[in-house]
Amino acid sequence: MIDVTKLYRKLLRLYPASFRQEYEGAMDRQFRDEQRDAQGWKENVGLWSHALSDVAISAPRELVREFGQDLRFALRAYWRRPLSAVIAVGTLALAIGASTGVFSVTSALLLRTLPFGDASRLVELRFSPFSAGNGHANFAEWRNHSSYLENASTFSTSEMNLNSGRDALRVRVTETSANLFSLLDVQAQLGRTFVPEEDRTGKNHVIVISHRLWQQAYGGNPSLIGSVAHLDGAALTIIGVAPSRFDYPGNVDVWAPTVFDFEVIPKHGAFIWQTIGRLRPGLTMRQARQEFQADVARVNPKSLRPDNTSIPQMVGLRDQLSSQIRTSVLILSSVVLLVLLTAFANVAQLLLSRTAERHQELALRSALGASRSRLIQQLTVEASALTLSGAALGMTFALLVARVAGAVMPAQLATQDYTLLDWHVLCFAIALALITGIAFGIMPTWLIGRIHPSTQVVRMHAGTTEPATGRLRSALVSLQVAFTLTLLVSSFTVGSAFLRLVHTDLGFEPANAVTLKVSLEGTSYQSGGAKWQYYSAVEERLQSLPGVKAVGAVNYLPLSSNVLMAGTIQVESGPKVSGVVLNGSLPGYFRAVGSQLIAGRDFGFDLSKSPEPPVIVNEAFARESSFGPNIVGRRIIAPWTFRPYLVGGVVTTARMAGPEYEGGPQAYWPVEEEPPSALTFVASVSGDPRNYLTQCRDAIVGLDRNVPVYEVKTLDQSLNETMERPRFYTTSVLFLAGLALLIAVAGVYSTSSRAIIQREHELGVRIALGASIQQIRTLILRQGTVPVAFGILAGIAGAAGCGLFLQHLFVGINVSGVTAFVVPSLFLLLIAIGTAWSATTRVLVIDPIEAIRAEH
Amino acid sequence: MTSSVKDVDQFLPLSLPVFHMLLSLSEGERHGYALKREILQRSDGRINLGSGALYGAINKMLEQGFIVESDERPDAHLDDERRRYYRITPLGRRVVHAETARLRALLQLAEVRLGIPDPV
Repeated sequence: MIDVTKLYRKLLRLYPASFRQEYEGAMDRQFRDEQRDAQGWKENVGLWSHALSDVAISAPRELVREFGQDLRFALRAYWRRPLSAVIAVGTLALAIGASTGVFSVTSALLLRTLPFGDASRLVELRFSPFSAGNGHANFAEWRNHSSYLENASTFSTSEMNLNSGRDALRVRVTETSANLFSLLDVQAQLGRTFVPEEDRTGKNHVIVISHRLWQQAYGGNPSLIGSVAHLDGAALTIIGVAPSRFDYPGNVDVWAPTVFDFEVIPKHGAFIWQTIGRLRPGLTMRQARQEFQADVARVNPKSLRPDNTSIPQMVGLRDQLSSQIRTSVLILSSVVLLVLLTAFANVAQLLLSRTAERHQELALRSALGASRSRLIQQLTVEASALTLSGAALGMTFALLVARVAGAVMPAQLATQDYTLLDWHVLCFAIALALITGIAFGIMPTWLIGRIHPSTQVVRMHAGTTEPATGRLRSALVSLQVAFTLTLLVSSFTVGSAFLRLVHTDLGFEPANAVTLKVSLEGTSYQSGGAKWQYYSAVEERLQSLPGVKAVGAVNYLPLSSNVLMAGTIQVESGPKVSGVVLNGSLPGYFRAVGSQLIAGRDFGFDLSKSPEPPVIVNEAFARESSFGPNIVGRRIIAPWTFRPYLVGGVVTTARMAGPEYEGGPQAYWPVEEEPPSALTFVASVSGDPRNYLTQCRDAIVGLDRNVPVYEVKTLDQSLNETMERPRFYTTSVLFLAGLALLIAVAGVYSTSSRAIIQREHELGVRIALGASIQQIRTLILRQGTVPVAFGILAGIAGAAGCGLFLQHLFVGINVSGVTAFVVPSLFLLLIAIGTAWSATTRVLVIDPIEAIRAEH
Repeated sequence: MTSSVKDVDQFLPLSLPVFHMLLSLSEGERHGYALKREILQRSDGRINLGSGALYGAINKMLEQGFIVESDERPDAHLDDERRRYYRITPLGRRVVHAETARLRALLQLAEVRLGIPDPV
């Protein structure tokens, strides 16, 4: 039979230590009395239910009361030594804040669901089992008979000119099957979304616009519903405005249901189809994937090549949207975790020192009858007071970190709001604070376990310290140094990679250049002649602006082109060069963008005079053709006309996608030959190019208001945008490493200075016996450096492992060099030695006579 | 002791269990369980204090200086040493008197307002 009184005694553990110490015996006695008096099972059940409800009500009340007392006591204790408390709270606030901030972005991107109905069942199909180009019937046939999809939608996104009566705009348009909104379970904020038959010929002259476009182009005017807007010249009726939180597939301004019938909005060139679907309920992702692959194999067996280059993939929509930054976010989270651990080690060290210094007080209280659990409770409350206030303060910092991080990181769903501090994040921060509070509370109990009241009270002196405490503190210093070194090596690696990026030769000169795009789609300039006339007029207008030194134009400008036209070029009596970017350009482009002609000369101005039109290639092309600069004067066969062209010059290779990526081969042909429907103009100016943006834009708009002039910015701005992520990661890692360094320096300093305080007597004796101050300082320094050296060894091992992950942040990060380890190690060692040495100045104030006298 | 000069009004009103406990203790020393049983009996079984509530209240009264723990025991051989005996202090007495006066005044006010005739 169970001993019920034992059970009751267990229940009494729910009361706080002091109360229990005082009344446990009496309450236990009383329960026995009551049990003795209770007769029959009914009264016994009543007794138990009464006891349980009594504990449930009174235990929390006593806990609050006693914790309140402990808290007041703790605050008074901290008030007496405010500096160490402030440092601890500050350290924790920074560390908890940084990690909570990064976590809130992580959770927004990776853990939370998308703002679509039942988003977990949404998938993207990276391989269409149907041919969207075959029209609506083909799509509907496939969709209606799918065994794994409940519904599917297909779409294609491109840039177009929007004319709504005012200045023309360039917008991103997603042409989609009519069911995109219903598939994602999104309702219009104003008006309506598409109805099922609106993707059929004749009914598809409707569009839904984004909340952003509604605000920017229509000033948020609700009466726009029913009005007509022109997309690349096609008249379409606005039927709705999407909610502000909705932005799929990303950075979209207009949705149009014309995907199966590109006749409504004229389209030419290549475009990419995307297909998303909603899985049938009850189907796992694995089952669905298998059925999808079987589906593709059945419907389109020829498209599956045996060499495995074309594997149909089905990806969860959220994974697809976050995949680009997932790794980076996880790496950043790990870096933050290291800082957090450094901070924890530091605060643990601080609390340990405090407890060691209060040894006498604790021993005295123990001698006066305070139980061990009473003292543990006191210390836990003291520690939790620190960590919880650190966490509370950290939340403010977290908000800042999250805002900065959120601004840079989510590129895919740019306009979607992330509520950064939601319950996920709050739980994270509170859990963090509680775990640390409890850990820091329990840790010093190792110490209390060593207090023997009878002997300690008599023997306690300020100079006595437990060797175990000293060892533990040294270990904590080693930990801080190890984490910090790992972070320093990381930041050295990332920082030098970033510097390499900054100093990369781009093949052009981004300073002092203004760039502007114009598009003639859907305007009155349709014939080649009209386009050429317009472009010439733009060139002339820009040229005539005061301060403008050179003007040129090109199809694909470096740093701002996502889609490039490329092809294979046959060099006469030479090899074929493949993957060549085919770029139309206006004379003067190379001068305007600052690319150097290495051989030959720029385009001549009169094409009609030359029998073979000229073409200019870049260095990469010249190299791949194996002729080098001697390619000038040779003929090539261009894939766009299949006619021979004469290579007139060789220019430096431009890094099109920014400093991270090598530039590939390019061939520039004269735009005049066949003017494209869009061009990017570049004007190099004297002085700050930002001052020229408005007048350059106005000069072009003044020519014809119906032609949109967009992406008006300096080339430097574009470069900054490409560098945004590398810069963000570098700044984050540097900042976090700096934070850790600060924490570690504080740790090293306090160990050394406390070592002196605690050994004052011994040092006093040594001085009295003739040891010089320098000898004493060296002694302390040597002892202070040992944990640092251990930490550095451990840190090198940690950094080697950590480096492998870092290279996923951006291109060019390389951890293999010895310098990456040696420089930060030496740096940290020097700082540690300097810190420890400066802490030893305390030795100077030791008065040997006083120190020895303190013994008695 | 500073608490003896304190104005007793600051402690009022007393909770019903505390009032009952002070009443019992003003008749003599009691241990916890005796207090509980006495109060249960007096309130016709309505106030049944659990140990937690009982010792919680006792703890608070000790802090406030209404009662003190008594060292004397009726018979050390017969009694469990874990039982705690308590004795009311002069402050405790003044507080219970003040509470009684407060309750009386309240009662009189109610009788007048409700028109309940004096039982005498």
